[in-house]
Amino acid sequence: MIMPAGRPLLLPVNPRFIVATLFLALLLNMLLGLMGQNWLPDVLAMVLVFWTIHQPRRVGMFTAFVLGVAMDVHASALLGQHALAYVGMSYLASMMHRRVLWFPVREQPLQLLPLFVAAGVIAWLVRLVTHDAWPQWPQLLAPLLQTALWPVCSHVLLAPQRRPVERDDIRPL
Amino acid sequence: MALDSIDRNPPPFFRQGLSALSKLVLFGLLSVLLMAADHRLGLSQPVRSVVSVVLSPVQWLSLLPQRAGAALQDYFKGVDQARDEARQYQARTIAQAQRLQQAEQLLQENQHLRELLELRKDTAGPTKAVQVLYETADPYTRSIVIDMGALSGIAPGSAVVDVAGVVGQVTRVYPLSSEVTLLTDRDQSIPVLNARTGQRYLAMGDPLTLGGSLELRFVPASADLQEGDLLTTSGIDGVYPAGLQVGRIRQIDRRIDTAFAKVHATPMAQARGRHMLVLAPVSDWPQRPSKAEPAPRVRPGRSNPTPAKAPAGGSSGDTP
Repeated sequence: MIMPAGRPLLLPVNPRFIVATLFLALLLNMLLGLMGQNWLPDVLAMVLVFWTIHQPRRVGMFTAFVLGVAMDVHASALLGQHALAYVGMSYLASMMHRRVLWFPVREQPLQLLPLFVAAGVIAWLVRLVTHDAWPQWPQLLAPLLQTALWPVCSHVLLAPQRRPVERDDIRPL
Repeated sequence: MALDSIDRNPPPFFRQGLSALSKLVLFGLLSVLLMAADHRLGLSQPVRSVVSVVLSPVQWLSLLPQRAGAALQDYFKGVDQARDEARQYQARTIAQAQRLQQAEQLLQENQHLRELLELRKDTAGPTKAVQVLYETADPYTRSIVIDMGALSGIAPGSAVVDVAGVVGQVTRVYPLSSEVTLLTDRDQSIPVLNARTGQRYLAMGDPLTLGGSLELRFVPASADLQEGDLLTTSGIDGVYPAGLQVGRIRQIDRRIDTAFAKVHATPMAQARGRHMLVLAPVSDWPQRPSKAEPAPRVRPGRSNPTPAKAPAGGSSGDTP
């Protein structure tokens, strides 16, 4: 793989870490859902997009679908609403995963904003078609917050791959 | 550098699996199928039950911080507040004692009269005390999840009440939890009775007006309604037992251009109560009458009329 210049070489990812972070994100999403505010960011969507972009061979649309159905049942939304939104988002992410990583972390969010907006729009459209319910304005804030939190998410999730390979406790420097 | 610092197996060139587009189509169609099964056909309950059971440990975990917070809050509330509450309850008990005695007397009297009239008894079915686990996060529906499900004997369609009045109705039952749709949900309706006038109305949920309210539909503009009227369940639906408090009328809007009034009521039930009671659906409903064959019409002037067939015990199928 051709690496962008000036980037450190990353360690291979631990599959258990991917599963653990997705699980934690699901947990955090449920916890945020308890607050009853609909402008809170969808952490699960962020982590899902992150792994789809960084590890497209391990995390993809199947994972997105399963997690989406789980969120649907938890939120007692229409079954398949989150699933469709996550699958669409995951598809867009896998389409752009080669491009996004060439940008520095502070410029990546701009590329990802349409993706998070698309996920929100899919969910809105589904509810408009089936339920005749109009979305509320604060929901617009969620994709923006997800975009703003992307650098944090990126730093946290890449941290284990940035560790030194061999710890050398008696190194002079 | 150690060898495990780089990915040793290169990405496969030929065995790539399904293309991204076909995966999108596959999972997209699957989602749409699920939605159709959920919304149109009502077939999704098994899927929901399975996913809900698998998710229940995760849900339990996600509820832990909230529970810990509540426990801490309870702990630090202090003795003063507890004493205050005890005093309040005592005062309320004394105030209620008199009414209770009256009610006892009325109950006996009522029972006696009913026996005299051989009316059906308003049997209160078995009740179950439940706790609210969480409010669902979906912004398009108003519902809560309670901590008992099919394994504890909760039946779909049961009414749910709290101290103040009707909260809603059990709409989905999972093995370990169930979902209660609140009265203010867009799709929820409840037949009510104006306690002052005895008029019956139909109240539908309206999540947007007055921060979640009930709308009385099909009310003539000339109807006798006043702000502050108490609405109770009318008991004619076979779901909610009669006489439970539902709400108070808050807003009446009579307009010149329509013959109907727009009436909004605020629900009595507390929005964020924790303890609730599930009432089993009223089941002593009379049997549906068997289909009687239409009696031959008899002209008044003709002599020797044929006797009409007795509808009961007919040979036609008596399945409901």
